[in-house]
Amino acid sequence: MSAPISRPGPAIRAALSLLVLGSPLARAQNPRPSPSPSPSPSAAPTPPADQIELRRPGRNPAPLVYELPPIDPAQVEPPAPVLPRESLPISDRWRLMENLGIVKQKFSDPYHQNVYKGDKPYKPFRKWGDDVFLNLIGLSDTLVEARRLPIPVGGQSSRRPSALDVFGKGDQLTLAQTVLFGGSIIKGNTTFKPPDYEYRLILAAHLNRTQVDPVRALRVDPHQGFVRYDPHFTLVEAFYDKHRRNVSERYDFDSYRVGLQPLISDFRGFIFQDNALGLRFFGNRQDNRVQYNLGIFRRMEKDTNSGLIDIAQRPRSDDILIANLFRQDTPRPGHTTQVTVIYNWNHEDGKDYYNTNGFLERPAVIGDVRPHGYHAAYLGLNGDGHFGKWNLTSSLYGVVGHDSRHPVAQRSQLILAGFSAVELSRDFDWVRGRLTLIGATGDSDPFDGRATGFDAIQENPQIGGADTGFWIRQAVPLAGGGGVALSGRNGILPSLRSSKDQGQSNFVNPGLMFSGLGADFDVTPQIRAVTNVSAIAFANTSILSVLRNQGAIDRFVGVDTSVAVQYRPLMTQNIVLNVSGAALWPGRSFRLLYDENRRGPQYSVLANVLLSY
Amino acid sequence: MSISRARCRTVGAALATAAFTVLSCGGEKGLGREGCAGACSSASDFLSSADVQRILAQGSVEAQARGARATLAVVDRVGNVLGSFRMNGADPSFRISSGRAVRGGLEDARFASGDALAAIAKAVTGAFLSSEGNAFSTRTASQIIQENFNPREFSQPSGPLYGVQFSQLPCSDIMRSGSEGMTGPRPSPLGLSADPGGLPLYKEGRLVGGVGVISDGLYALDPDITDIDEDPDELIAVGAARGFMAPGDRRGDRITADGRTFRFVDSEDVKSGAATIPALAAIPGATVAVDGFFSGIIRSGIAFRTPESGFRFDTGTFADLKGVVLVDERNQNRFPPRAGSDGLLTANEVISILRNALMVANRARAQIRRPLGSAAEVTATVVDTAGEVLGLVRTPDAPVFGTDVAAQKARTAGFFSNPQAAAELQTVPRAVYPATGDSVLPGSSVTLMRQFLNDPTALSNGLAYSARAIGNLHRPFFPDGVAGRPPGPFSPPYSNWSPFHVGLQLDLVINAVSGSASGVGCAFLPKIRNGIQIFPGAVPIYRGSQLVGAIGVSGDGVDQDDMIAFLGLANAGVALKTGIANAPRERRADLIEPFGLGTRLRYVQCPQAPFNDSTEHNVCADF
Repeated sequence: MSAPISRPGPAIRAALSLLVLGSPLARAQNPRPSPSPSPSPSAAPTPPADQIELRRPGRNPAPLVYELPPIDPAQVEPPAPVLPRESLPISDRWRLMENLGIVKQKFSDPYHQNVYKGDKPYKPFRKWGDDVFLNLIGLSDTLVEARRLPIPVGGQSSRRPSALDVFGKGDQLTLAQTVLFGGSIIKGNTTFKPPDYEYRLILAAHLNRTQVDPVRALRVDPHQGFVRYDPHFTLVEAFYDKHRRNVSERYDFDSYRVGLQPLISDFRGFIFQDNALGLRFFGNRQDNRVQYNLGIFRRMEKDTNSGLIDIAQRPRSDDILIANLFRQDTPRPGHTTQVTVIYNWNHEDGKDYYNTNGFLERPAVIGDVRPHGYHAAYLGLNGDGHFGKWNLTSSLYGVVGHDSRHPVAQRSQLILAGFSAVELSRDFDWVRGRLTLIGATGDSDPFDGRATGFDAIQENPQIGGADTGFWIRQAVPLAGGGGVALSGRNGILPSLRSSKDQGQSNFVNPGLMFSGLGADFDVTPQIRAVTNVSAIAFANTSILSVLRNQGAIDRFVGVDTSVAVQYRPLMTQNIVLNVSGAALWPGRSFRLLYDENRRGPQYSVLANVLLSY
Repeated sequence: MSISRARCRTVGAALATAAFTVLSCGGEKGLGREGCAGACSSASDFLSSADVQRILAQGSVEAQARGARATLAVVDRVGNVLGSFRMNGADPSFRISSGRAVRGGLEDARFASGDALAAIAKAVTGAFLSSEGNAFSTRTASQIIQENFNPREFSQPSGPLYGVQFSQLPCSDIMRSGSEGMTGPRPSPLGLSADPGGLPLYKEGRLVGGVGVISDGLYALDPDITDIDEDPDELIAVGAARGFMAPGDRRGDRITADGRTFRFVDSEDVKSGAATIPALAAIPGATVAVDGFFSGIIRSGIAFRTPESGFRFDTGTFADLKGVVLVDERNQNRFPPRAGSDGLLTANEVISILRNALMVANRARAQIRRPLGSAAEVTATVVDTAGEVLGLVRTPDAPVFGTDVAAQKARTAGFFSNPQAAAELQTVPRAVYPATGDSVLPGSSVTLMRQFLNDPTALSNGLAYSARAIGNLHRPFFPDGVAGRPPGPFSPPYSNWSPFHVGLQLDLVINAVSGSASGVGCAFLPKIRNGIQIFPGAVPIYRGSQLVGAIGVSGDGVDQDDMIAFLGLANAGVALKTGIANAPRERRADLIEPFGLGTRLRYVQCPQAPFNDSTEHNVCADF
């Protein structure tokens, strides 16, 4: 890296300007300021004017060298690098811009040095210190979603006469409104060093209305009809985050966070992404080049129809231990590598648990439906970053464990399964092309002592057209195969669980082979179009055959096509409008499983508006 | 024991995979222990009298090892009692109880010296519910006859075979009661049993009979299937069946319905070793003669599908479809296709309906059989409006219980669709409950039905009822299974309901069962002479808007039974163009929605993935 950087890309340009401008500022704001504006003795000697040293102070031995371009004599001369400056003393540095009359705060504007967004200390908190901030958080998510899935008419009753078969009209319509609101109290200068502490509390209010054509799809009692309103009000996050200590002068630190907090297993949420109750130690080393997490969590019970946490119910008997390490610039600069170990202990082998719609959730209604628990240890190697112009996200997981008594095998099982995912992309001007390959092992013999289908704890995969693609977004019931979904909502693994949110992991599943091509088009800074075409297949359909008591079922699920358009009128994330449509063109597997010969393809169409403060 | 079982299962799984490949080209004989799929059984496959003695002796040894005193029975596949043995000290009495503290029906009925009857009923259940493709036990029966499926799973619909316990009765005209030497199928003295302790018996993958055990004086069922019971009756039966146990790959616990596996046995942890089995004569006890069932002399079983068994391949109308018919002692088809006694169906129409039903069955994806990809195996029966059987045909390996049940179902659909139903029901004498002496008038259900539907013409207005629709009305909850909902008009309220007190179905036959009957057959009324059946699988036959008969199907999943009846009839109508068809849509019971939304009766429900050879779905929608 000693070679001069001749044509820095946009990201590098930004970083350079920050470094060039930031270094003296950072020194100026160091709580232990140097006695003079001149560099501290520990810093390297001042380089010549045409060779500004870009090395981060600290351990990195090899300094980056930036050679200034030849000076254009037509331009004014640049300022000399080290000159005494004229400055005015300002009592409150956070109000600098305001004092200068450049920026005027408006409550409704989350930018522009807003005291409610943690840009300036909040006066009522003054008794706790001069640098205690308030950050209000507000988010509104409005969703309209129409979809068509294979749904049974409802064994005990049907909506219409002459419903003579299993499958009814599968059309559904969901309207959902979620409002998140809350805030944080943060102590410490949040810009240049980790805060000393943070208290955060976020609440959610949710209302959904779902309309499904067949009766009994929504509630266990068919008499309750085909429209369901379900409100829910809950806590989403509630934690205390404490900065324990700094371990280097570059603010490498150790912290812990306790309470209900977000947790994600890896870059794309393949194993776990949710809010969980627990204690997490985290921090970094080597100038933030290495980050670590060490946590213990208990999963919260969920509200069935909103997917939000339900604090009125006891947390689940399901615990997660997680330890991971991120290392930046590994193996090459621009790429971060993570190793992770996650241990999931599920001991929900006691009482049956029914969800709010009256359906048995745990144990899932498959096999002998006897309660069971399991231990599963995930070992993962993940990467995210770029190699030159190629962006690469990759994931490799293995899971080993033990299921006390799988309900289909009706015996204890050794869990042994694997998962891999790769997303390779590259930008061509305003177009980004993407290739996605995902594989998850499937189970070949549901009755033997080995469970070799890969399942996550609670996945929320951000890959392959996650939000908009049909396969990932929709939960398709395995009609006639018990109370399980082929794959969960916002999930990619066909893990045959009662639900992703509330069900237990199931390592006896058909596995997955997913290959997708996609392209993102940044049409304007406000409009982006995302397209995906994915071919989806199971790895092994033995368990599907058993659950449906059906002869050989083909592996080819079909082709998932989706288009999404995102509109950001302000070019920020504060107002985002998404419109998308997806259809799953059935392969032979779906034609054997569902009434594909009687209707058009399964589809989903949705529009959602995200407003955030 | 558990080690050897595990090994056996692994071998079984491997063989099943191999067998699957072979069986896709027809399922020939000689595939070994795990490989039979319906075509194995031959004239040489039966229990010898030595086998019977061994089974009884093994069971007795296991009982001794458990400190129990049992009464055991062994039957062959068609229900001939081959041996019945009471150990010295065994309690000859038993009591019927669901454990629900319910008053009425057969609840708390006591049989002073009926232990052998209970053992025979359990043995018959093991034999009758099973086949080469599925091995079901009395524990399986318990799982599928309760108010929810699975039992106690909140608000789920009832067991798919809800009501099957009241079939195979000695009063049935389909079953062959009387002295030994008659052809099968032979009745069960108490109908089918849900009391764990009845198992099917196999030799080399061929179903050859069943064994039943009672040692606890209680004829009950298992209301909670989430636990794992150590049921002495069942464990003694497992001990008895050693060497004759069902192939692992065919047991109910490998077979799913709506994703749920069936229970086969909870435990196989027998206490008696595999040491030398004593001769039966060396065990303190004696065979028990049972009037009408067993002479007291142990004998060998009859090979299935030999004329002596009462079942043989048809040599006439259905020969090309491998149809099996029932024969009498002179090897004459007991139910050859014929024209209706009421003159409403021709013999040719009966033949066409049954042939089409067989053809649908042969394509249908079996729900309760392995290997996966097997065709459904059923009995199909056509009756006329008087309840006379106009024809009966079976697929080769259909479970025997469906022989009686198909006729019950057909008669049920025909009877309730007939405008005379209300009037005839009101002529039925009081049903007397043996334990309490309480009595009810079955005819009162007409009033209840009319109140329920808010229709004073109900059961006399000619609305077409399928067996499924009658079943909807014959559950302790309406809609079926939903907790807190009122009972259907034919069922007692849940607080006073049990599988031994189900309402009209039992009330119609209880006098015959308890031996105080008068009138024809089981149910006083000739049209339903072997009793009614209240789970799906039958539809009435119409010519235009005129009821001309009914077809009933039994033996596979209830959706399959429905489809084979409904589609068989529909296809026959299309082929014949003589006007016979399913009921006109505007006359079907699924027009009724007694309490509004979500309470509509169902007419039929054809299964998902109905055929093995196609990707068609919703195949009944067009009729």
